[in-house]
Amino acid sequence: MIKKFFVVALVLMMVLSACAAPEAKAEVPEVCGTDSFGCAVFSKEDPIKVGYAGPLAGDYAAYGQDQVNAMLLAIKDAGDILGWTIEMVAEDDGASAEGGAAVANKMVSDPLFVAIAGPAFSGDSAAAIPIFEKAGIPMMSPSATNPELTAKDSKVFNRNAFTDVDQAVAASAYLFDTAGVRKIAVLHDGGDYGQGIANGVSANFTAAGGEVVAFEAITAGEADYSAVLAAVASNSPEAIYYGGYNAEASVLVNQMKQAGLENVIFFAGDGIYGTDFLTKAGENGEGALCTTMVPPASEARIKFDEAFVAAYGVEPGTITAYTWGSYDALAVLLHVIEQVAIVSGDTLYIPRGALVDAVRNVEDFQGVAGTISCQSNGECNASGPIIYNVKDGDWVVVD
Amino acid sequence: MKKLNKKALRVLLVIGKYARWTVGIALALFLTWRIYQVLFVQQAFTADTWLRFALSGLILGGMYALIAIGYTLVYGIMFMINFAHGEVMMIGAFCCYFVFEALRFIPAPIAGNPDLVFLNAYPILSILIAFLVGMTVSGFSGYFLEKIAYRPLRHAPRLILLITAIGASIFLQNAAMLLFGPQRKNIVNPDILTRTAGWTIQVAGKPVLISYTGAFSLILSALLMIGLYFLVQKTKLGRSMRAVAQDQDSAALMGVDVNKVVSQTFIISGILAGASGVMWGIHMGLVNHITGSLPGIKAFTAAVLGGVGNIPGAMLGGITLGVIESMGPALFGIDFQLKDVIAFLTLIIVLIIRPSGILGEKLTEEKL
Amino acid sequence: MKKANLVSGFRSGLVFGIVLVFLFLIGFLETGAGLLSKFFGDPVPTNTLPKLGYVILFLALMAIWSGSGSSKKINPDRFSELVLPVLVNGGVLGLMTALMALIFGNYVKAGVDVRNYLVAVSPASIKMLMLNLTEPVQAALALFALMTVATFLGALLHFVWNRHLSEKVKRTVSSKIESVGQSKMMSLTSHPAARYIALAGALALFFFLPRMWGSYWNYVLGTVGIYILLGIGLNLITGWTGQLVIGYVSFFGIGAYTFSLLTAPEPHAIMMNFWLALLIAVAVSALVGFLIGLPILNLRGDYLAIVTLGFAEIVRILLKSDLLTSFTGGPRGIRDIGGPTLFGADFSSDVNFIYLIFVMVILIAFVANRLQRSRTGRAWEAIREDQTVAKATGINTFSSKLLALTLSAAVAGLAGVLFASRNQFTGPEDHILLVSINVICLMIVGGVGNIPGIIIGALALKGLPELLREVSNFRMLTFGALLVMMMLIRPDGFLPARRPRMKRPMVEDPQEKAEEGA
Repeated sequence: MIKKFFVVALVLMMVLSACAAPEAKAEVPEVCGTDSFGCAVFSKEDPIKVGYAGPLAGDYAAYGQDQVNAMLLAIKDAGDILGWTIEMVAEDDGASAEGGAAVANKMVSDPLFVAIAGPAFSGDSAAAIPIFEKAGIPMMSPSATNPELTAKDSKVFNRNAFTDVDQAVAASAYLFDTAGVRKIAVLHDGGDYGQGIANGVSANFTAAGGEVVAFEAITAGEADYSAVLAAVASNSPEAIYYGGYNAEASVLVNQMKQAGLENVIFFAGDGIYGTDFLTKAGENGEGALCTTMVPPASEARIKFDEAFVAAYGVEPGTITAYTWGSYDALAVLLHVIEQVAIVSGDTLYIPRGALVDAVRNVEDFQGVAGTISCQSNGECNASGPIIYNVKDGDWVVVD
Repeated sequence: MKKLNKKALRVLLVIGKYARWTVGIALALFLTWRIYQVLFVQQAFTADTWLRFALSGLILGGMYALIAIGYTLVYGIMFMINFAHGEVMMIGAFCCYFVFEALRFIPAPIAGNPDLVFLNAYPILSILIAFLVGMTVSGFSGYFLEKIAYRPLRHAPRLILLITAIGASIFLQNAAMLLFGPQRKNIVNPDILTRTAGWTIQVAGKPVLISYTGAFSLILSALLMIGLYFLVQKTKLGRSMRAVAQDQDSAALMGVDVNKVVSQTFIISGILAGASGVMWGIHMGLVNHITGSLPGIKAFTAAVLGGVGNIPGAMLGGITLGVIESMGPALFGIDFQLKDVIAFLTLIIVLIIRPSGILGEKLTEEKL
Repeated sequence: MKKANLVSGFRSGLVFGIVLVFLFLIGFLETGAGLLSKFFGDPVPTNTLPKLGYVILFLALMAIWSGSGSSKKINPDRFSELVLPVLVNGGVLGLMTALMALIFGNYVKAGVDVRNYLVAVSPASIKMLMLNLTEPVQAALALFALMTVATFLGALLHFVWNRHLSEKVKRTVSSKIESVGQSKMMSLTSHPAARYIALAGALALFFFLPRMWGSYWNYVLGTVGIYILLGIGLNLITGWTGQLVIGYVSFFGIGAYTFSLLTAPEPHAIMMNFWLALLIAVAVSALVGFLIGLPILNLRGDYLAIVTLGFAEIVRILLKSDLLTSFTGGPRGIRDIGGPTLFGADFSSDVNFIYLIFVMVILIAFVANRLQRSRTGRAWEAIREDQTVAKATGINTFSSKLLALTLSAAVAGLAGVLFASRNQFTGPEDHILLVSINVICLMIVGGVGNIPGIIIGALALKGLPELLREVSNFRMLTFGALLVMMMLIRPDGFLPARRPRMKRPMVEDPQEKAEEGA
């Protein structure tokens, strides 16, 4: 009986879904007929859905939660788009390819979903790109740094994150030319981002004529790196370059002195920028250097910082270094959506193909973390790396 | 076809039997050669570096040992891998964080210094409070864990207990994340226990720092382990724990209240985990929701390495594992990234050559 | 007697009070009220808090639950017996809620931000807890009243339901179900033709559904299918042979990586044919399983568990290590992994892939089913029940176990191949220990030792987290809690294995009985 019911219900549903032809709507914009992906259609009640995919639980939860917090502010600041509300769809993908593909598949099945500011990491991005590509949903990742991601002729994938290459060039040039260092040790956290940037620095520094005396990976998430530091110290480097994030970087800096690396320069990528490194490293962090795209004190950034503290009780950059970039990633998407959206009667139309192209053609969008101008391959970060160092407990631009 | 099958199987069996020894001897030869190379031919590191390795290994090993005892106690009695044990340790570390934070807000203007806070004015008392709170809360966590999640399943198959423990571990980890946030918290010690402070000794012309926190945690874990050893060997509680570990039913017949003993075992293992959590906090200085998971797995490995159910074995296993982790990569001349590979390989090799762990296990066949 | 009632009321209040405090501290009050709001067709826009009514409703529902719980526990004949315990229950619950509002309310008043220590407790959520009142004292009183009244209401509702309605409803429902079930269903299912029709229907469903419900469900079901394969594989060695393997993911990873290295353009550009690479990958996994088992399997107890756990970590670390980066792609993983082909044509669309997974699942399930009923399968079961006895009856326990482990590793390798090929990407983060823990869990949640159980378990464990995406932050928390509860309520799984068992002992276990009594 129950089985029968189920079968009948199922058949009915199928028939209904097949028969339910879209109601004829007056004045559908012409674009929707010609657009390669068609239009997303919003009646008066529907929210415009934009999303984020990243780790919201587990080992990397801090990244996801921080990025979502920043993005929620971007939605708040955007208010509404031509009178339609914006809804944030933040999904947990566990930072894995499996999760990335699952979330992407879920998002593309929602007809109201138009754009994603993510995914957070390179693995989940790689798995998600083909799925969003098919559905015509533009992506703007604030933190997927793997250079290969933009080398695959994807129409939809963009990022306002740095590639590893830019930072590596800047860092090794500074170390070799400005600081006059000839022997460095390179460390990384064994992750995608860390290894990529560490390899870059190592290659550039060797090419410039310097010597990499030690190249080691540490295990992320630990709180004691004294053994590996002792091994590095026995090669007596003049500087240490670290590819990785603030949690491990602060531990390294704190333990360098004990390991016999007192007067060694500490240099890292944009993963350590933010208040977290300052509070955890304290005095030991003095003089540490990093490259980042965040401008020192633009008006937009100060405004954002104040809003962030008010909303979450902590300074941006306390949890991860990607707060500002995440805000920008979604802000630029919302900006472009507003440009391409068409109101017709009581209905809002967003031509998907046009949206994808428009994101790729963004020019000079001023975000809190620098300028965004997309190149034809989807690299949108137009502001070059700025080198900061810690002076009196604060990040200061190096001149 | 069948006959061939049988023959093939028999050949395999013989290989399996001798594989142990072949693997063992080949590895021993390789290791000796490798160590000789590194120490005498390459001379990659000087004596002071070796001492640094040894120190960091010993300190880490001491903490592993303390956590490993918790595993071994529970495993010995219930024959169950208490996956949530690492999370109990994390609770201890959080207690340390909150106690220190709270005491940092209490002013204690003594000796004419108006800025002095309780934490720095009475550092020893503060640390005592941290340990007291950490051990109490963790002890209670162990108790409630057993009472809510494990006791109803006392007679269920072990696999089911394992799943329950995994579930509890996932729950506790995520609860901590949602309560206190995912980022790592910085634990600020009393001034006298600053992590960079310590005794400096000269080795091979270079200064080597023995940090106070490291020495403190090493000594403390040694004291706790000795205390526990006496508890298990000399007291009535210890005797009933051993009785239950050997045979629950007979112990019950002899008038041992099995439920009570199991409860007490969980409390003790929780208290130890709490102590190691507070020590972890004081020495490592960082805590978040995943603080317990990696040390948990390592400590369990240590417990097996030393011999399951064997308390001195857990201590030895912990220290061995810690030292292998910090010295192994240097000794074998490979990347430090692979230190866990060395640690786990050691475990596998030890199990192949000496299946009951370094010091032998203290379990009865009946448990299987 | 009366005192016991009071105590149980107090306990119910305390437990629910703790739960409520916990839920508030992790920020679930907002999410819960938001879900209620969504349930009533009033979704909460991003960046705004749910309406006051839903917050009150959420709190009241908790209290009603608590009250009905203590009514159920006490189960009195007259309602008057219930009044005092329920008042205690509501009072305790109300007091705890009120106290919480009082404390946090005063923090807000003093301008202290507690989010440094408790991330979810923002001033806005405190205001929500205080029912939008400004004075902490007012809010505390209001909350106290609300919780007490709601608890009382809950007890009343349960009492009325229990006394006057439940019997009637139960009787009518059960009689209907019985009559339907016995008359029609039995005769229907027992007829052979009906079984074939059902089978054909199921096959048709499998054929048509993937074309209809879109890529998301294909993806989720594909993952479920891959986990079913893993579950069946692990079941060979753990469920049937009784040897716990914690690091099962290592074989999964080895299969996935072997396949990926053979078919991806980078790092080796071998670009082998899908089916050939599949065979090689499965063979490599099986070989690794064999080699691991060789020295370990004649040891006893949980050593296999620990050794495989260590091995899984070794594999994961090696895959992402600098040492092997040029060989395995390092932490970046491998992209553009080859998809399946069929007679030269590309077969890798999501619909085709789900067919492939279905076929593989059916194939492996069939083989496993035949194996279980074969001599080998019976030998495995004998080993699980008692190794010594098995040995005495002439079973070569070592080689049986070795066979089980090898086969199980091969199945994991197959699952790895399908996984990597479908995602077209694999990296070290896909092969963490959590995967094997998930597989163990799904095997046990469904019911150890039987294949339908594994299918149910995979649906529950890989499907459920997908459904739980609604509550994204609380997903894993809920998952952990459900796992524990599931084990406490149904330790044998949803579908316990039906196998011939020895008759129950004539005399009941006195200890068990005593525990039940207590």
